[in-house]
Amino acid sequence: MASKPESGPSPAQGVGPLYRPDGEKPTATVSKEVSYDNVHVLPQTPQLIALLTMIRDKRTSRADFIFYSNRIIRLLVEEGLNHLPVVEQSITTPVGRSYLGVKFEGKICGVSIMRAGEAMEQGLRDCCRSVRIGKILIQRDEESCMPKLFYDKLPSDIADRWVLLLDPMFATGGSATLAVETLIERGVPEHRILFLNLIASPSGVAEFAERFPKLRVVTSFIDQGLDEKKYIIPGLGDFGDRYYSM
Amino acid sequence: MESVSPLYSLSTEVRYSPPWQDLSIIGIAGSSGSGKSSVAMEIVKSLNLPWVVILVMDSFYKTLTAEQHQKAHANEYDFDCPESIDFDILVDTLRDLKKGKRANIPVYSFAEHQRQPNTTTLYSPRVIILEGILALHDPRIVEMLDVKIFVEADMDVCLGRRILRDVRERGRDIEGIIKQWFEFVKPSYTRYVEPQRPISDIIIPRGIENTTAIDMVVKHIQRKLQEKSDNHTEELRKLGLVAAEVELPLNVHVLPSTPQFVGMNTILQNPETEQEDFIFYFDRLVSILIEKALDMTLYVSANVETPQGNTYLGLHPKGTVSAVAILRGGSCMETALKRSIPDCLTGRVLIQTNESNEEPELHYLKLPSQIEEHATVLLIDSQMSSGGAALMAVRVLIDYGVEQQRIVFVTCAAGERGLKRLTAVYPRINVIVGRIEEEGEPRWIEKRYFGC
Repeated sequence: MASKPESGPSPAQGVGPLYRPDGEKPTATVSKEVSYDNVHVLPQTPQLIALLTMIRDKRTSRADFIFYSNRIIRLLVEEGLNHLPVVEQSITTPVGRSYLGVKFEGKICGVSIMRAGEAMEQGLRDCCRSVRIGKILIQRDEESCMPKLFYDKLPSDIADRWVLLLDPMFATGGSATLAVETLIERGVPEHRILFLNLIASPSGVAEFAERFPKLRVVTSFIDQGLDEKKYIIPGLGDFGDRYYSM
Repeated sequence: MESVSPLYSLSTEVRYSPPWQDLSIIGIAGSSGSGKSSVAMEIVKSLNLPWVVILVMDSFYKTLTAEQHQKAHANEYDFDCPESIDFDILVDTLRDLKKGKRANIPVYSFAEHQRQPNTTTLYSPRVIILEGILALHDPRIVEMLDVKIFVEADMDVCLGRRILRDVRERGRDIEGIIKQWFEFVKPSYTRYVEPQRPISDIIIPRGIENTTAIDMVVKHIQRKLQEKSDNHTEELRKLGLVAAEVELPLNVHVLPSTPQFVGMNTILQNPETEQEDFIFYFDRLVSILIEKALDMTLYVSANVETPQGNTYLGLHPKGTVSAVAILRGGSCMETALKRSIPDCLTGRVLIQTNESNEEPELHYLKLPSQIEEHATVLLIDSQMSSGGAALMAVRVLIDYGVEQQRIVFVTCAAGERGLKRLTAVYPRINVIVGRIEEEGEPRWIEKRYFGC
């Protein structure tokens, strides 16, 4: 069904509006493609690439890093919300015309994987004002080197909700996998989990998509790969540090 | 003009002429002190319209040499002969205005007898009243005039008025004034001013006191203005017919009807939605439009280094992105605009649709300086129906030197006919549309957003 993305260089191509001739589009590295039905990569538009360029650049100040990552997160949330169910709704507009629209169905909540995932809460709140937000703290166990669940605080009725799971960087996917397992244990059906992510590694996202075929991943960019320390390359450094403390 | 890519050009050339392209010029000549400027001001006052302006010929005095300057101080320089006026520049200015272009009016300092480095910009008047002793002198100007008026008064009255004015307003001494009067002003009257009388259409004796004559002129201008606006409305209608034939071009981007987008549009159009929710969802929806619009600006490839020392070939935006809001609707979108560009340079243009004939009218204009150098100008309006206001606003930007392909018109909802009309006239602009609405939709979004 799906092909694993190859490691190796990322594709570079001209980016810009479709109708523009190729010669008028500047070249940039775009996301790798994956063919999993449950992985959705944001359209690689010049404006998205420019935002990503800002947050990857080590010279970008913390204030700008926060501003530009929030803008990408809003785009991610907007795309993620499109996967939630809607029902048809017919209304009469202020000028007396009828409009066949839709109504949002189902309750949602956000769950952030601490600490970097919490940086995505602002963007989520910009789109969903009073959304409930649970938290999960996962740390690497010093003895076993495996990710371990240290803390969680989730809405009590989480089993009845759609969950937007937030984590900006997805390298090996250890924490995200544990977070999803925690959610499933609490009774959240796999298909009601949406994982929102800024930058993913090709191998990590592939394993994750295969392990949880009903869960949906929305990411803005699938990067080139992982280095020997399991950091995403080219990546953007430590997201939490750059957002909170650098 | 730029060549137009065949991808989105029309076989027939479609043009839009704003109402100010068909400018009327009224010339008022007459002796110094005859009451020309009072008559001109009375006409403007009676019309009470923002697009009627007075152009004083004094602004076009030539700069004096040092020698002439000294003469002027000794009241020995002739300011009343045609040679003292720079008719060439005046003719060029009037021709530009007649074409609907922007014109820079020189600023003349009487103290220094010099043209100042700064100029006043004159743009989009529909009627100009050109006032000066020799307004009907140059045949090139006479040819452009719609109405030629000659104001007359008894020469004694003229001298009396001139003395009062020059002493009070220009701080001159009476001897000098009288010397100048007999040496230059009076001879010039006989030689240049009076001969304009027979070619005038209307002679107004007793100047400002002659209310019957002024009333007549006002009525004439009102008739002219009515004709102009009828023509403009008719032209807009015809443009709509031409444009209805074609497909929406590729540079009109209608946002895809994703579930969230349709859901937000449903909330926004539902009259039961609370004001607070309306504002929230409107801002959220416009944020998406603005991010989309930023795809249209200029980007250049750029290598950046990440904190771990890896390089990434990405993009950097090139040049300034500014915005121009078509008031009042466009100002609803500024909150969302500033979410993406917090310090966005923003101009404003107030275009109101006249309720009696549905004609768009330009009332106010304030653009960022050097707008012609900006990489992208986002022209924002919450809603567009027939496209009259958008057509006019794009025309204004072009007249201010913004190239068509740098303009991105962003609107939440638009009628298809209006979109076709806009892009038929300006095929190289980009358009971002949230939703295609039914034809003839009245403007309601701004009322809902502002609550009044």
